[in-house]
Amino acid sequence: MIRLEHISLQRGSFNLNDISLDVQSGRYYFLMGPSGAGKTLILEIIAGLKVPGSGRVLLNDNDITDTRAEDRNIGFVYQDYSLFPHYTVRKNVAFGMKMQGKSLSDQEKNVQRLLQQFGISHLADRYPTTLSGGEKQRVALARALAIDPPVLLLDEPFAALDPVSREECMQGLKDLHHDNGITILQVSHSRDEVYSLADEVALIDHGSILQTGRPTDVFSHPETRRAAVIAGTENIFEGVVRAKAGGLNTIDVHGVNITGEGNYPPGNRVVLCIRSGDITIRKNSLAADFIDNIIHGTVVSQIITDYTCTLNVEGPLPMKVTIPRKNQGQSEFQNGEVVRIFFSRHQVLVLPFSELQEH
Amino acid sequence: MEKAPKTAKRGVFDWSILGFWLIGGLLVLFIVLAILSIAVPELGNPGHLADVATDPSVLLTLGITLIAGLNAVAILVLIGTPLAYALSRSTFPGKGLVESIIDLPLILPHTVAGLMVYLLFMSQGIIGAPLGNVGIVFEDAYPGIVVAMVFVAIPYYVNTAREGFETVPVRLENVARTLGASRSRAFWHITLPLSSRHIYYGALLAWGRAIGEFAAVIMIAYFPMVISTLIYYRFATGGLSEAMSVALVMIVICGVIFVLFRLLLKKKEGPDDQA
Repeated sequence: MIRLEHISLQRGSFNLNDISLDVQSGRYYFLMGPSGAGKTLILEIIAGLKVPGSGRVLLNDNDITDTRAEDRNIGFVYQDYSLFPHYTVRKNVAFGMKMQGKSLSDQEKNVQRLLQQFGISHLADRYPTTLSGGEKQRVALARALAIDPPVLLLDEPFAALDPVSREECMQGLKDLHHDNGITILQVSHSRDEVYSLADEVALIDHGSILQTGRPTDVFSHPETRRAAVIAGTENIFEGVVRAKAGGLNTIDVHGVNITGEGNYPPGNRVVLCIRSGDITIRKNSLAADFIDNIIHGTVVSQIITDYTCTLNVEGPLPMKVTIPRKNQGQSEFQNGEVVRIFFSRHQVLVLPFSELQEH
Repeated sequence: MEKAPKTAKRGVFDWSILGFWLIGGLLVLFIVLAILSIAVPELGNPGHLADVATDPSVLLTLGITLIAGLNAVAILVLIGTPLAYALSRSTFPGKGLVESIIDLPLILPHTVAGLMVYLLFMSQGIIGAPLGNVGIVFEDAYPGIVVAMVFVAIPYYVNTAREGFETVPVRLENVARTLGASRSRAFWHITLPLSSRHIYYGALLAWGRAIGEFAAVIMIAYFPMVISTLIYYRFATGGLSEAMSVALVMIVICGVIFVLFRLLLKKKEGPDDQA
């Protein structure tokens, strides 16, 4: 188990503020946040590569804050994999064991096993510059696991991969975690990765942890506006509570009344979060079932990906709406088309407004 | 019908680079002319050149110069490498001052450098006096040549080695440390091999600078003579032709060594290239 207790560190103008984390043994834990949030720095502190200004790092209840990186036995894979360019794949993987003083025969035996496990035996005598991104990642993982670490730290391991390699590597890591039961702490800013792999996630921003929990809980119920942004909530508005009745709030957002679940007293400023995928959109001419919130608007632009289409709808409330893509290269809506968008009260997350967070 | 766009033919000479060559080539021409101005007259009298090239005093001086240069480089590699590494991996107030101090021998007149070395290593100097007590003498002695050479070559080696260390990402050392390597083992196994080309090149530059030094060397050790002292001596006592013969022998030897070293560096599959 890894535990961070009140870790703080100042580096130039950046501050890591009072970071506390509990990563239980065998868990796949994600640190998620934007670039510059301090995610990699947290990994480097756990690995012993950076010394915190205050606080403690515990590994299986042992205080390792002052233990040198080389004595921690924690696996680390950087985003660029940082393979040793002057060593072959075989020597890269054997490096840790050599440093541990293992015999040559043990080194060779373990190298063979790891190369086989990661399907890279055929690359054993190649140099890193000749490898693809996916191959480099597998070598880096094999090298990190060669020292038999109880914990593996991964710094955005999929960032440099093409989509096909990325999917393969994600599956590979999922299998590795499942088969080895190793504790993994991974940095990412991709919700897909978190949904696919994580047991738990911590949202991090500006050197502080905003929220921790299971991915579905954190993404569905961010506790602050900033957490909602990091969790990928596309529609965030400020409003004022106009009415409160039976666990519902009616909130005035730029002159539009939105109904959401909440118990805030009238007059309170609040923040509304509505995920683009939770919204239903219909052509204006079509009838709709009764639903709590209906807004008219005009489609002004669309971003089409493999499976989805995100529509920017202008109107009294500018909103993003994500729908499954129906036809190849086309969505069923045209730019300039008048539409109606619907969402229920359950899909409106009402958060308290905080001056501190807004600025 | 639309005209097809002009496409560059393979193997066609890039004329745009010719202008750069015409201007920049003047510097190469300058050096070649300087060499020819010595070589042509000397090669016109091969007998005399052969006499000088086989003159035991010339050969002894050449030997002293080349070996003193190697000693100076050995000292620089031993002491300058840790300094270069520390500079590449540290940030602290006053780092710029330390770097300026290291660069000082580059900008000082060589006579001033010689004077400084002399004051330190003369028999009453703060380093020369105690070492003199244990029998290490610098004035008009081989160790004096070496310390003068070290002094003038410091920035050449330290700066080149530091640049080499800076090309090695700190992350490689970090990974090595998480794999169980101490800081010093990470340096030996990762950083040093990956910056070896810079280290070799820095050593070559320092050696070249060291064996060519004249003013700083004669301030502390006129004797035993190094090659530049001998050339000056022959010029002062025997005239231009005497000096030119020795100079040509030196040019040939240094040229051969430098070309060989460059070829070796090129042949060596440098980890710098792979990084």
